[in-house]
Parts: sequence; structure tokens; C-alpha cells
Amino acid sequence: MAKITYVESNGTERVLDIASGVSVMQGAINHNVQGIIAECGGGCSCATCHVYIDEKWTEKLGKKSELEGDMLDAVCDLQPNSRLSCQIEVTDALDGLIVRMPAKQV
Amino acid sequence: MTTLTEAPVYWDPYKPDFWMNPYPVFRRLREEAPLYRNEEHAFYAVSRFSDVERGLTDTATFSSSRGDVLEYIKANMDIPSGMFIWEDPPLHTAHRSVLTRVFTPRRMNDLEEKIRAYCARCLDPLVGAGRIDLVADFGAEMPMRVISALLGIPEQDQEAVRERVDASLRTEAGKPMDVSQASYKGAGFEEYVDWRAKNPSDDLMTELLRAEFVDETGTKRRLTREEILCFVNVLAGAGIETTTRLIGWTGKVLGDHPEQRAELAANPGLIPNAIEELLRYEPPGPSVARYVARDVEIHGQTVPAGSAMLMLVASANRDDRRYPDGEHFDIHRKGPPHITFGRGIHACLGSALARVEGRVALDEILKRFPTWTVDLDKAKLSSTSTVRGWDNMPVFTGGNGQQGAKAKVTGGTPQAGADLDGASAAVGTETWELTLQTPMGPQVMTAQILREGDAFKGTMSGEMGVEHIDGKISGNALSWTLSLKKPVSIKLSFDAKVAGNTMTGNVKLGMFGKAALSGKRI
Repeated sequence: MAKITYVESNGTERVLDIASGVSVMQGAINHNVQGIIAECGGGCSCATCHVYIDEKWTEKLGKKSELEGDMLDAVCDLQPNSRLSCQIEVTDALDGLIVRMPAKQV
Repeated sequence: MTTLTEAPVYWDPYKPDFWMNPYPVFRRLREEAPLYRNEEHAFYAVSRFSDVERGLTDTATFSSSRGDVLEYIKANMDIPSGMFIWEDPPLHTAHRSVLTRVFTPRRMNDLEEKIRAYCARCLDPLVGAGRIDLVADFGAEMPMRVISALLGIPEQDQEAVRERVDASLRTEAGKPMDVSQASYKGAGFEEYVDWRAKNPSDDLMTELLRAEFVDETGTKRRLTREEILCFVNVLAGAGIETTTRLIGWTGKVLGDHPEQRAELAANPGLIPNAIEELLRYEPPGPSVARYVARDVEIHGQTVPAGSAMLMLVASANRDDRRYPDGEHFDIHRKGPPHITFGRGIHACLGSALARVEGRVALDEILKRFPTWTVDLDKAKLSSTSTVRGWDNMPVFTGGNGQQGAKAKVTGGTPQAGADLDGASAAVGTETWELTLQTPMGPQVMTAQILREGDAFKGTMSGEMGVEHIDGKISGNALSWTLSLKKPVSIKLSFDAKVAGNTMTGNVKLGMFGKAALSGKRI
């Protein structure tokens, strides 16, 4: 279980308890956080679950796979702290994670 | 005591006119028969969001390998290799991977300027006509030009391609699709593929010819000619028909909700969310079918392997269990995403393109036609089994039948309606009559502006004659300056907000204070 803060693009903060084992994307969708589409349902193939990781956490997440690295090129407004949230699994170690939604997914 | 019992819900999808308004029946299905069985046509259907989502994501149970059209599944057709929407993993995974990096959000957004140019080409000649057809004159044209440009189909042949695809998707009113209509073998595209192979270019077809992928046997290879033809056929069909329907629905639904349309005209920043709501409310693909590959239990009943099942996407999108007040159209809806583009491995590959096209199309329509009235008597709903929407969408736009916008001369203002060269105003020009409440009394001026993204150019006419202006646009706010030489040298700074056909704001009169500004579109 981890407490994750999702910051919507208009500044609204949603602080949510997300069970371990689901993705950061799924946590957002389950709680109707605005700003994530995730049409492919977590298959790393649509690039619409794009989030920005708070700088305090960028080093603490697992490394991204080659596939995620590839698909990240597909997002709008790519930044150094960009990740695809369907590829980040929630664990106890992520308690306190802060992620920001981009202004648009498409 | 007698009780009034209603007959159990019976749904015949082939009944003529059913698709005009399927939603009351869908609601009954959701409430009374969430697993619905139609014996006459031998199919099952699910209508609630959670069941449709499961039907699309559980690909082991609900297979695409017999097709995703009810009639094709029942006919047990052979599926040619390359028709990837009708494939299961691992073959589907291998084929789709070739295209995943083509239709991405970033690459589709890079097309925005091109899409805007195609929109302008279609819409500019219609300004002032008074009655236009949002499908025949626009919706059927622009998506065809865009996907054809992506595919590298020469412009003079694009019309013929569109007609061929249209014919393959059409059914006679009330009849199921004929299996012989399945034009998946790409007939008619061979010449382009062969010609493009000899004349490579910077387009998708060239990419397909060159792409290497690892097939389901683990072999790294290029696509076969058959596979390429299938791909091109799927992309052409999907890229044109569906987006055309989205534009038709945009015209119909916003015509039915003029107050929300006015909000969009005044604040284009609301357009992306409005497009999502249009997609939810009237999905161009209202249902997809699957082959049930193994026995499955749904709502306490067993659906046997070998069955054909419809996933009612248009019903799932209205399910109150997920969308509060789901039958209500609301451009401000802050809900969970719709399921119009599907979910999981077969989720629509072109969804980013559809979104960019939809949003640019609506933006460009509203710039030229902030209001319209649907001529519903003359609008015709398409009769196809897989895609739902309008063949034509005639609307009255309030022009006076003359090309281009022309200003009226008001209260002694000379030369209003012409730019400095004396030529008539460009199409797309907005004309406003502005009244400034100055310390010397009300002053009337006319402004003619032409928007270009977040800026505009134009002229202002009044007692000072005609002067050039250019300004900035932010949402519904316009700001610009005008330097006057007489009677005194003074710089006017305008700040105004547009709401439909009125403008309100103020003008800073150099160092002489501020004046209230009101404007009306003429």
C-alpha cells in the first residue's frame, strides 16, 4: 500500500491510498483522477498514461524497460522526468510518491 | 388485483430505424437483460460498461480471430494474414507492433497544421453560403485527405478509394452485412503498393514496405505484399469512415445543444473535453463483435464456446454505473474515460489521429460558423452494420448567400468593409461593430479581423479612416492596440471578451483614462 499524490494539470491534488501490485496508472483510473486516458489498458502501446515524476522520486523508481523508453518518444511534451504510469508498479517503497499529469495526453 | 407486466425486452438490430435512437432499448438491456440472447439471429450481447470492458480485454475468452463483425463470425470465414484487427496474440502482437510507433500522440499532433490546412480548404468556400453540409462538404473530405496523405495515395485517386471503402461497409436498410462485401483483400490498392515500392517516399506505405518485424514463428522478416494490402485497407477504412461520422455527430449534437456550442465558440480551450464527450455520447463505432472461444459465465448464465457476442460500446458509454447521468450530454463532464476506442490490445490504433482531427475540425467550424441549425428533415442516417452516423448533415448557418463576409456601413464610417487595398474581405473575416463610451460621447468603429491561431490581423474603420491592427487571442479574450494621429496622437489599447455574437470590454485611451467597450458581430 502506498499513499500517492496525483496532481492534476489544473493544480488539484488527489492524495490516494493505492494497493501494492497495481500500476500507478490503474490507481489513477480507479479513483477517477483527471488527465490519464490509458486506452491500451497498460500494454505500453498507446502512450496516453504519461506522467511527470516529482524530482525527489525520479531516482527511486525502477528503471524503465527498452519498450517504455521507446514509447516515451511518442508522448506530447516529453520531459526528463517523464514516465508511462502503466509501467510503474505500486509497492510500499513508493509511499509518498508525487506524480503530475501533463496538460494533455493527445 | 391485476399487475401490468411488460413484455421481456426484445432487440432486433436489423429493424429499420432502430439505430436512429437505440438508447432507450440499450437502457432496458442494461437493466433487464445484461446478458441478452437473440435466438432469431443467434447472438449474445452485453450492454453494461463492466461487461463490455471485460469482453474487450479478456482476449483468451473473447477472440478476434473469426472477425469482429457479427455476420462474419457466424459465417466462419477465412481471415487473411495482415488483417490484424481480426487476429489474436501472438500474430496480432507481431503485426500491430509494426504500426504502434506511427500513430502516436506526438506524431499525430505534428500533423495539426496540415489538418488545419485541409479544414480551411473545405470550409473557406462555404462561408456566407447560408446552408452547408457538414458531412458532404467537410466531414467526408478532410479525414480522407489526411489518411490518404499519410498513406501516400495520390490526390486524384483519393475520391475513388473513399467510394470503394464506403460501398464495402454499407448494408441495405434492415439487412445484415453480406460476407461478399468483405473487401479485406485490398483490391484496388495493389497498383499503389507496387508503384510506391518503385517510388519510395516519406509516407506510411513506404514505411510498411521497409518495416521489419518478428513474426509469430520468431522469424525476422518484412511484411508480405498481401499483409501490406490488408494493412492499407484497414487503415483507409478505419481512418475515413469513422472520423467522418464524428464530424457529422459534432454537427448534430452541438446543433441540439446550442448553449454548450456557444460556450465552445467563446472558449476554444473547452474543445478537447467536448470532443471526448461527443465520442462518449455518439460513438462512431457503436458495437464490436467477438467469437466466444471457450465457455464463460456471465450474470449467472453460461455462454457456450462457439457463440457470437456483441459488445455494445454505445450502451456501455451511457451506463449510469460509471457515468453519472450518462444520458445527458455535458461538455464539462469530468468523468472516467469513455470506451469508444475500445480497450486493451485492440484499442483503436488511430485514436490520437481521430482526436486531433476532431478537435481541429470543431475549432475551424466554430471560427467560421459559431451557430447553425440542423435541417433534420434532409439529414440521412447511414445504414451500415459497424459504423453509425450521418451520410449528410445539412445545416443553416445564417449567411446571406454571398461568398465572404462583408461589413455594413454604420453611422458615417467611410470605407468600412474593405481592406486598405480596396479588395473585398478574405473569407473567414469577422466583422464587429464596436461602441466606445468615451468622455466625448459614444464613438462607433468597425473592426474586421481574421484569426490565425492565437493572434489576429485586421483593420479598424471610423472617423480616423481605416487603420491596420493586429492583436492576440487567449481563449475568448482579444487584445490589440490602435494608434491614432488625429484629432490627437493617442494610443488606444483594447481588451475585450467574446461571447457568441457580443463583445464586452474596455479601451484605454492613452493617458485620458478608460472607456467601456461593447461590440456586436455583424
